[in-house]
Amino acid sequence: MSVDTPLPEAAPPAAQTSELLRVEGVTRHFMVSGTRIDVLYDCTFQVARGEVVAIVGQSGSGKSTLLNLLGLLDRPSGGSYVFDGVDTTRLGEGRRSRLRGEGIGFVFQQFHLLERRSALANVGVPMVLGGVPVFRRRARARELLESVGLGHRLDSQPHQLSGGEQQRVALARALSREPALILADEPTGALDAASSRMIMDQLLAQAELRGAAVVVVTHDPKVAERADRVVELVEGRTR
Amino acid sequence: MLRSLTAGIVLAFTGSRANIARTILSCAGVVVGVGALILVVTGSDFGQRYAVAYSEIQGGRAATLQVEINGDVTDRDALEEDLYRAGGEQVSLYQMPSGAVRVRSGGADVPDVEIRGVDPELGDIRRITMTRGRWFTEADRESLAPVLVVNESLAASMGDLTRVQIGTDRWVDARVVGVIADSGMDFTWQSAYLLRSPATEEILFAPPDSEEAPQEGFGFYGGSNAYVVRLDPDHPGVEDYGEGFSESLRTVAWRWGVEDPQNAIWSYRADSAEMLEEPLLYMTWGLLGIAFITLGTGLLGVLNVGLVTVRERRRELATYRALGASRFTLFVAVVMEAVVVSVVAGIVALAGCWALAALGSAVVTELDLVPPGVDLRVPPSGVLLGLGSAAAVGLLAGIIPAARALRASVVAGLRE
Ligand SMILES: Nc1ncnc2c1ncn2[C@@H]1O[C@H](COP(=O)(O)OP(=O)(O)OP(=O)(O)O)[C@@H](O)[C@H]1O
Ligand SMILES: [Mg+2]
Repeated sequence: MSVDTPLPEAAPPAAQTSELLRVEGVTRHFMVSGTRIDVLYDCTFQVARGEVVAIVGQSGSGKSTLLNLLGLLDRPSGGSYVFDGVDTTRLGEGRRSRLRGEGIGFVFQQFHLLERRSALANVGVPMVLGGVPVFRRRARARELLESVGLGHRLDSQPHQLSGGEQQRVALARALSREPALILADEPTGALDAASSRMIMDQLLAQAELRGAAVVVVTHDPKVAERADRVVELVEGRTR
Repeated sequence: MLRSLTAGIVLAFTGSRANIARTILSCAGVVVGVGALILVVTGSDFGQRYAVAYSEIQGGRAATLQVEINGDVTDRDALEEDLYRAGGEQVSLYQMPSGAVRVRSGGADVPDVEIRGVDPELGDIRRITMTRGRWFTEADRESLAPVLVVNESLAASMGDLTRVQIGTDRWVDARVVGVIADSGMDFTWQSAYLLRSPATEEILFAPPDSEEAPQEGFGFYGGSNAYVVRLDPDHPGVEDYGEGFSESLRTVAWRWGVEDPQNAIWSYRADSAEMLEEPLLYMTWGLLGIAFITLGTGLLGVLNVGLVTVRERRRELATYRALGASRFTLFVAVVMEAVVVSVVAGIVALAGCWALAALGSAVVTELDLVPPGVDLRVPPSGVLLGLGSAAAVGLLAGIIPAARALRASVVAGLRE
């Protein structure tokens, strides 16, 4: 709740310049009716600012679980996660929400746009949460939608858009607060080959333009190919 | 904190606009409940104003006593002085003429006219609504012709108000200076107020003809002398329905020649608003209770819909969280949505009540069921209570779903 108080001290400047996030010995298990299910045993890796990292691995290997941890949507069972110089493992819910809103943009496989709301309104939501005044919000949402080639569909609602178009709206929304990190969980999983390529082109181009790092979970070798680095998850460990 | 709050409110407004159908369905109970509340307050307010108007027209403003002194008064000036001394703030004669007074207009007799001799002060003691002309002034006392104010019924029978004559044994030209509204609440007699002045002294106070038998058995030997007297409502003389006032008059009755003051002097409370107020209050509370119960059922309706939609909207709420909404923001958003829904319902109810009141008002004034100036309308207190309780219902009905929404896991919500 104390979102207006300053975030904890940033890490030393040396680390801040190049390193965006660092995951160290992160574990995650779930309890399902009394039985413990270990999903992540020991994940250790880092991502530099502006870097594009692909996470690959078999189905059920814990890629989505890891991405949720990176996105501060979930807490690790053990280990540490430093994002943008802040050790997030000890942060309260309010600060995690704020850090997430300011620093991280999401692109989901299922788009997760808000129904019955225009593209423009959808792109505006993170800015509402960030307290951006309404006029600036609308102008910026329009600009972002134009930059992903949807300047002519500002008032369309999600059900009036194709999958690829919806994902472009989601991309514009993810970019709306200039995050340092874009997390994408199989962003092309629900799209055909042509749309997939277009989305990936735009995702990578926009991220490069804005200096944002991208962590993308994917099954698609073509997507993984385009990353600066590939992290493979095998039996709950990063390789 | 502030940013989370405003963000929550913005989300709530866009959210409720996106869910209009659900909104309308969920608030039917609130519309009925709030409508019932507003109607009760409106009815009670109307009843109270009606009672006050009725009482002020028929009896007088609080607190008015009607005072009667039977028997011959030897010194009227001393009596009237004592009426003021005993606590009267305004005093007016309120007396039927001792003999039969006839009225005619343009030479034609107007039968069955009730005439009362009064002073200009009556205009301050009672609520008098002029439809034409004016009430008496002190200057009218100097008129050489008797001065009258008639009611509308009488004015209608008279036709030409410029050629009016009154008299007991001979006709005198009279001057009509104003017409007052019929009270409209009971059978309306043709009546006239006759200003007491040197010109009307004889008509009002002439000793009765010996043929007109004294009303034996009541101890009315001479005439009866009647007054209305307004006292401060807190004056001790008002207590016991005016008995205190009679008592203090009786002690000085010798000054104006009344011999058996115990039996000759009476006063009683003429204004009745206070007496009507208590039962009205009980009735209002009873009805308000019923209206609140109705509103309670409406609350359960909104709560139920709120719980269902929070479950349906887990994905949407999780998406908000992923986009940076804090728990507090979502809490505010969900509660505010319920408040917006309820207040909209309250406004709908208010509009309905307003229309009903306007219709009712038109009917009762058209049928002449209410005193002039008393209309049926939603009072500000009704608006306040209606919208306030609608907002309160929204708050109450929003809190439980909002708390539920907070507990839900973001990751699980996104997987739906
Ligand atoms: N909330 C949970 N409770 C119990 N088990 C869970 C939970 N979330 C994930 N798991 C388990 O963790 C494992 C990894 O799940 P995750 O969704 O991370 O896999 P993934 O690598 O993303 O797979 P896919 O490629 O199919 O999306 C799975 O076996 C899953 O059943
Ligand atoms: Mg997955």
